[in-house]
Amino acid sequence: MENNIALEVKDLRIRYKCLNTFSIRQSLFRLQKAEEIVFEAVRGVSFSVPKGEILGIVGKNGSGKSTMLRAVAGIFSPDEGTIDLHGNSVSLLSIGVGFQRELTGRENIVLSGMLLGFSEEAVRAKMDEIIEFAGLGEFIDMPVRTYSSGMHSKLAFSITAILEADIMLIDEVLSVGDAKFKKKSYNKMKQLISDSDRTVLIVSHMSETLQELCTSVLWLHDGEVRMIGKPEEVLPVYEEFMS
Amino acid sequence: MIARFVNDMKKYFSYAKYSAKSDLKSEVASSYLNWLWWILDPVLFMLVYTFIAVIVFKSKVQYFPVFVFIGLTLWNFFSKNIQGSVKMVRQNSSIVSKVYIPKYILVLEKMLVNGFKMMVSFVLVVIMMLLYRVPVNRNVLYMIPIFVILVTTTFGISCIVLHFGVFVDDLFNVVQVLLRLIFYMSGIFYSIDGRLDEPLRSVLLYCNPASMLIKSARDSMLYATTPNLKMLAIWGAASVVMCIIGVKLIYSYENSYVKVM
Repeated sequence: MENNIALEVKDLRIRYKCLNTFSIRQSLFRLQKAEEIVFEAVRGVSFSVPKGEILGIVGKNGSGKSTMLRAVAGIFSPDEGTIDLHGNSVSLLSIGVGFQRELTGRENIVLSGMLLGFSEEAVRAKMDEIIEFAGLGEFIDMPVRTYSSGMHSKLAFSITAILEADIMLIDEVLSVGDAKFKKKSYNKMKQLISDSDRTVLIVSHMSETLQELCTSVLWLHDGEVRMIGKPEEVLPVYEEFMS
Repeated sequence: MIARFVNDMKKYFSYAKYSAKSDLKSEVASSYLNWLWWILDPVLFMLVYTFIAVIVFKSKVQYFPVFVFIGLTLWNFFSKNIQGSVKMVRQNSSIVSKVYIPKYILVLEKMLVNGFKMMVSFVLVVIMMLLYRVPVNRNVLYMIPIFVILVTTTFGISCIVLHFGVFVDDLFNVVQVLLRLIFYMSGIFYSIDGRLDEPLRSVLLYCNPASMLIKSARDSMLYATTPNLKMLAIWGAASVVMCIIGVKLIYSYENSYVKVM
């Protein structure tokens, strides 16, 4: 089991410093140094995820779930502790990787794909699949600024779902779009997850979904691990705590 | 750090290129006359400064419209990139908060866009030189190192400005004032050589990369003389140092940019 670990997080601590920006005008007129308020969002979290595992992450709002996912995705570095990806590629599946409003959906697919670290050719090869999955019809050749918010998120979901990475981080996107697309994305998610090589971390508030999809669940509370284990062990306790 | 920089460049340069291309395309798409503004903008400003300098201040500079045009071409590239870098991270927050990207790639992308516009404007310079029958010789080749130094200087300063722009709220105002000051000190619509006495002349010409580069470009293209090579070398070296400082700053702090926003 030891050498099959896809992701290892050790003593992860992430702090936000409030009042980190200052203006020259302000500091000229108030010479005393602004007090720094440090908020620790993640406080010493350790866990490891074996390859192919689907880890659900639960916790109330503000318990550090999204912060942790972002740190795993490499968007910001931990203040303390380490995150070892064991050389796997990782992508954060969340709504809307910076679309350019004036460009068409098609061009935005290439741009987002390249941002996620794929080559232009690789994205073009998957283009038809993405377009078909998004199901936007002729809107795919229209500027993104003409999209409704639902279409926007459908496109964003399709891009990250079709351009697969070894480790996928999913942040609350299981409820994107209309009922039909929701079902489609849910099935796609299940299909992605069922691939035994893929490791997935899901943040969600919907216990039923996690119950069905996950192989284990991590409960974060105020930036600390409250419980980790099988879904049927963790989820009932969590439910009770929340009610 | 250099290995990481080379690696990241390889990985993300194609993104910057594609993004710059689509940036330009979307500029054209939003209105059909837009590409015309890439030409009209420098031409009209050239007319404005020619009016002020020739009619109001009775300037006697040879080939004056071309003289102004060269200055404006280089200046616009320099100042637009630096100004754009101040709010770069904030403006791209939708990208920065979703994926990792070395933040100087955003600067690079903007530089490609502005670089393309500079090339358009540069073609106009060449056309005007033909119209005025400006004689050229092999000194024109010095334009190659001049462009290289312009790019490295702009990149270095932009990276440094990008870093501080994240943390300092009103840096934009400061940079705007500074750039305006440097604009007037760079001799874009007057000749520092002809108007000022020593030691002010040397200070203005050589302590400011913009005026040094503009003067060198005029020497090599308009007056068919060799630019001050020692100054070019010094600023070339200084620009490399600024690039290293800028990239280093970004690498050490970029992961906390998201937390500030």
